[in-house]
Amino acid sequence: MTDVTDDGVRAEVRNWLAGNVDPAVGRAEWSRRVFDAGWSAPSWEPEWGGRGLSSAQSRIVAAEFADVGAYGTGADRADMLACTVRDLGTEEQKHRLIPPSVRGETRWCLLYSEPGAGSDLAGLRTRADRDGDDWIVNGQKVWTSFAKTADYGLLVARTGWDVPKHKGISFFIFPMRQPGVEIRPIHQITGESEFNEVFITDARVPHANLVGEPGGGWTVLQLALAYERRLMGDLARTAKSTRDLKPDADSLIGMARAAGVLGDAHVRQEIARAESLATVNRWNTQRAKTTTDRTEAATLMALGKIAMSRILHETARVQTEIVGPESMLTGSDNPVGDAVTFRTLNAYFTSIGGGTDQIQRNIVGERILGLPKEPEPYRETAFRDLPH
Amino acid sequence: MSTVLTEQQNDLRDAVTDLMAKRSAEAQVRRLMADDSGHDTAVWAELAAMGLLGLTIPEEFGGAGAGATELAVVSEQMGRVLLCAPYLSTAVLTPYLLLALGDSSECAEALPRIAAGGLIATVALAEAGSARPPAHPVTSAVADGDRWTLTGEKTYVLDATIADRFYVQARSDSGTAMFAVDRGAPGLSVAPLTTVDQTRKQGRLTLSDTPARLIGGVGKAAAALESALDRAAVALIAEQAGGAMHAMRMAADYAGVRHQFGRAIGSFQAVKHMCVDMLLEAESASSAARHVAAAFDACEPDRLADLALAQGYCSDAFVFVAATNIQVHGGIGFTWEHPAHLYLRRARTDAQIFGDSNWHRERYVRLKEEN
Repeated sequence: MTDVTDDGVRAEVRNWLAGNVDPAVGRAEWSRRVFDAGWSAPSWEPEWGGRGLSSAQSRIVAAEFADVGAYGTGADRADMLACTVRDLGTEEQKHRLIPPSVRGETRWCLLYSEPGAGSDLAGLRTRADRDGDDWIVNGQKVWTSFAKTADYGLLVARTGWDVPKHKGISFFIFPMRQPGVEIRPIHQITGESEFNEVFITDARVPHANLVGEPGGGWTVLQLALAYERRLMGDLARTAKSTRDLKPDADSLIGMARAAGVLGDAHVRQEIARAESLATVNRWNTQRAKTTTDRTEAATLMALGKIAMSRILHETARVQTEIVGPESMLTGSDNPVGDAVTFRTLNAYFTSIGGGTDQIQRNIVGERILGLPKEPEPYRETAFRDLPH
Repeated sequence: MSTVLTEQQNDLRDAVTDLMAKRSAEAQVRRLMADDSGHDTAVWAELAAMGLLGLTIPEEFGGAGAGATELAVVSEQMGRVLLCAPYLSTAVLTPYLLLALGDSSECAEALPRIAAGGLIATVALAEAGSARPPAHPVTSAVADGDRWTLTGEKTYVLDATIADRFYVQARSDSGTAMFAVDRGAPGLSVAPLTTVDQTRKQGRLTLSDTPARLIGGVGKAAAALESALDRAAVALIAEQAGGAMHAMRMAADYAGVRHQFGRAIGSFQAVKHMCVDMLLEAESASSAARHVAAAFDACEPDRLADLALAQGYCSDAFVFVAATNIQVHGGIGFTWEHPAHLYLRRARTDAQIFGDSNWHRERYVRLKEEN
């Protein structure tokens, strides 16, 4: 890490952007320039598109890029493929996979969850079998965003069936564009389709794309998930600072006024209740960000997801009370009812996605409160002998 | 505005934590619960010696002139251990009231004595039916020249039976005002109320042509009381947060050691999830208390709406955590000997004493509507 000051970084990136931003420059050329200048992944080494800045300075670079509407920075936080390979890949993998990914020439998606392996991800059954220099993959993955545009999938597959479930998993950088990979959108309860199912039938991944050891995939996955959680935390904070905050505070009173029920004592109580959940969560986040006590910060951050689930569900419930029978209607001719129903249903995105509220409570209970884990009777049982 | 404690504030917290551990262990709390005076005069003297009784009193009146954040830091620790002492009434509510009334001679007479531990004072603001001050008090004040007499009843008066002086809200022909009444005044009778929470004593005053001194002028009572209650609420919500934090910790500790079916009950998700829900409420209450204290110190324009929201939240949070703590403890939590119920008793009282949570939520919406 260099000893550049934050102000120095800010001045340099501003200066660079001023000299290089040019609407006439195409996407590929722009990405190359950003990479060569070390702005793609500012906290990494120059060979991976960085310049050895601190993590906080990398955020400064991102803010400066955002200010002028430029893209191409932040791979050190947002590129799960590059982050994972940089930490645990071989030298050959790093040189082959990181630069194109960081430059945006190749795209990735995540192939983790399966229909039979959600909360218990280690119970996954997608298999990879060694065949010469390749592995042959068969199985089904779910909840994959951007599957259609991805060149690679970060894949966890079972390669060992005679060892306990955590010990028979391997982690691959799996080529998506090949026969045997079929992608189908998932129709969500909101009517949207952000996610896909990926059906994999006799598809191949070169042994050269195995990250870590065969059977060592669970450890690699933990690292990849840690990067993902960090990114989600970043995104949540960004969203909060822009528009997610205000609607909560303003819209309930505004919505009740518009619906003519702001004078209703019950509605007023419900509004205050819902807003207090959102507000205390904001205060929790502020405390987490400003405290110097790491345990305190970790506790508050761990609670954030459970709190956000409740805020979203409760706010949608109060909105339903406010609009009353409108909540039966949907579609563009009923925008109020439509929005309330969307929020009601989309709240599950947070209370299920990224680990259900129940799994999250287990994690907080065990890691923060130090409560004992559930006994695991099958901890040492070979995967093929597990009941299912 | 920052909620990060300074080194000095951390030292203050540590000093109070130490004192509370020594002077307000469960055995002491139980002893004082059964004692009519409800406090230990030696501990009261120690609080005075440490500067805690004059914490928020300006230096010109013998205090430390500290802010809301220091008060919250101290109150959180007192709340954790259910300290039995007239702290909220004497060291918090009364000074804020006298300062809000702006009566400099009363401030000069009473505040140094409070800071030194020589005067226990309380505010008689509530009448039957509400813990908040009535808009139109029934208690009446009659002037005869400079001499005033009060007639009426006041209730839910904190620490009434041990108070040397009462500041009583009453209505005169020309408006409401605050009056000082000293213990032993003719026509004054003080009766203890039988309280659910024996760690926080209350009483009822009956005044019958009782001589009183006008404090701060007629027409000033309502605004001064509101200001004093708001500032004192910073201490109350910090106490609630401290109590909730302690009750949560009791539950989590017990769930880690109590074994049934051959395993610690905290390994069962049904129990584990209750503990996590308690953690969320306790931490959120704590964030709310600290935020509001900092907002008062910084005179943030939204501080009253923030307080209203926090007061509703912290009241419910403490009741929830204290109640759930009993459930996590199971049978032992249902016994008088176990301290779990003491926290529920305190929580239920704290959720009423400066107005119930519905009242605070309604106030929050009213303040937001006006914006």
